[in-house]
Amino acid sequence: MNFVVRRFSFYFIAIMVAITFNFVIPRLMPGDPVDALFAAAQGRMPLETLQAYKEMLGFVDGPMWVQYLKYIKSIFTWDLGPTIMLYPLPVTELLAVKVPWTIGLAGMSTVISVMIGLLIGTYASYNRGGFTDRFMPGFWAFVGAMPQPVTALFIFFILALTWKWFPLSYGANPDLEPGWTWDYITSVLHHAVLPIICMILGGIGSWIFNMRNAMINVLGEDYITMAKAKGLSNRRIMTHYAARNALLPVVTAVSMQVGFVMAGAIFIETVFNYPGVGLLLFKALGARDYPTMQACFLLIVVFVLVFNFIADLLYLWLDPRLRN
Amino acid sequence: MFSHPFIKFLGRFYRGNTAAILGSVIIATVIFMSACASVIADNEPNKRVARGHQPPSAELLLGSTRSGKDVFSQVLHGGQISLLVAFSASAITTLIAVAVGISAGYFGGRIDEFLMSLTNVVLVFPQLPLLIILAAFLGQVGPLVIALIIGLSSWAWGARVIRSQTMAIRNKEFILAAEVMGESKWRIIFVEILPNLISIVVGGAMGTCIYALMAEAGLEFLGLGDPTIVTWGTMLFWAQSNSAFVVGAWWDMVVPGAAIAIFGGGLALLNMSIDQISNPKLKTGGYIKTWRRMKVEVEAKRAAL
Repeated sequence: MNFVVRRFSFYFIAIMVAITFNFVIPRLMPGDPVDALFAAAQGRMPLETLQAYKEMLGFVDGPMWVQYLKYIKSIFTWDLGPTIMLYPLPVTELLAVKVPWTIGLAGMSTVISVMIGLLIGTYASYNRGGFTDRFMPGFWAFVGAMPQPVTALFIFFILALTWKWFPLSYGANPDLEPGWTWDYITSVLHHAVLPIICMILGGIGSWIFNMRNAMINVLGEDYITMAKAKGLSNRRIMTHYAARNALLPVVTAVSMQVGFVMAGAIFIETVFNYPGVGLLLFKALGARDYPTMQACFLLIVVFVLVFNFIADLLYLWLDPRLRN
Repeated sequence: MFSHPFIKFLGRFYRGNTAAILGSVIIATVIFMSACASVIADNEPNKRVARGHQPPSAELLLGSTRSGKDVFSQVLHGGQISLLVAFSASAITTLIAVAVGISAGYFGGRIDEFLMSLTNVVLVFPQLPLLIILAAFLGQVGPLVIALIIGLSSWAWGARVIRSQTMAIRNKEFILAAEVMGESKWRIIFVEILPNLISIVVGGAMGTCIYALMAEAGLEFLGLGDPTIVTWGTMLFWAQSNSAFVVGAWWDMVVPGAAIAIFGGGLALLNMSIDQISNPKLKTGGYIKTWRRMKVEVEAKRAAL
């Protein structure tokens, strides 16, 4: 119980820091972003809109702490104001449309990378000096060091543009009516293949690497020798004795990776014109749409915290010592 | 001359370690070529020397960009700034990580609690989105600012690793002995503890270098960098905004991309080998082969008896 309470207070602090960051950044800027926007609109922006932005970014009249409290209140009441790109559509509505796509990409690619990565890592450590052990970590370290925009563009160029195996753009065929029909679902999957492959290429190396290293450390422990001496099968030793313990450090290391996955989503969605949060953030950058940018950032922080929470639950399941 | 302990150490490190040799050769070559850019490349990086999007030829080794600039010269000159950003960001990160990690691990108690809660909060923040927001609010930022914000935001993981390693060392007898002998805390930290952390610190620094290289390229690719300065990232940005792939000018995009991938890959390979110094169990390749051969020989001898 203590563990859960501690973690929750930690998440709360992290969220508050993110909100504070969002609050402070526009104030540290040289000049006022709202006035800059007003100037950029060249008189096409009504004064009420200007006021709305000011409130949105917390630039209301009154002392700093009142502004801060108002800003926090607007966040927790899920009132993020109107977007600038698509005025007067509220940021929250825009995000609600985009979030499922990104969750789909990030979720699917993470699940696949976890499965393949853990398998390769476990296998490599259990067959030391074999082909997998000697070449896989180096190969994937190399692949992981490639800049994600370039990998994505390259795959896009060859598989989508030149060979036309996969669609060039969007999350699904825009001619189809969204719904639980076979056509629509296959179209969504078809559109998701390349982005997911790109995300897997960027992230799988760390799983293989961490798992192999953790397994090698665990395989030297006395209880593995003990299990061998008892005559247990290799498979049982690998899964029940070694892998389960090796997973603990891997879960910690990789829950940190989620931020990296989300960053990858920004580039990959941009390259494939995929309608998720990453592409939204990219478009917001181009339009200098600060409210949308900040909302995307907050949302990404929440994503990362949720993944960390899942990692905590996994920890509780894997390590019974934490349960009391 | 060859008996110096450091040279002996290098010999041991590289012998039979293909990954380390390959990584070092790649890193050295890239650094050398960028450093000597103005000697190797005939053309100025920002001078128009040909028509737009000329394919690679004997005259223009790697073709020309949309605006007719020499890609070969650009990639070499751009390397200077990209590498400088990566190295300085990595240096800042490593300094902070070592300072925070060792203080938390060695002093313990309140200091440890405070530093670690700070570290954990910084750790959960998605770094690249954070950088993107910062850069977006600052307007187009130059390489120096990029290096600073990468350096100041990515030390948390290293600090945690160094802390746990420091805590493991702190309880060893030689630290106790140093304390009993009345050595000052600073001497204990710098002379007794730090040398034992070298491989972890160097490994972490190289990991950050890869990360900084990619983060810089990513920021500039999204158009957040200063597009007038030639770096690998802004080369990608220009290639992308001129739709290099779509019009068939693949060299414009592939060359800076490959430069980042090759240098990053070289660092990653060397980094793997450095991990193996801090944890020799991770070794693979030649060592395992030798061990297997010895095992077979011993078993054969036993059977002969």
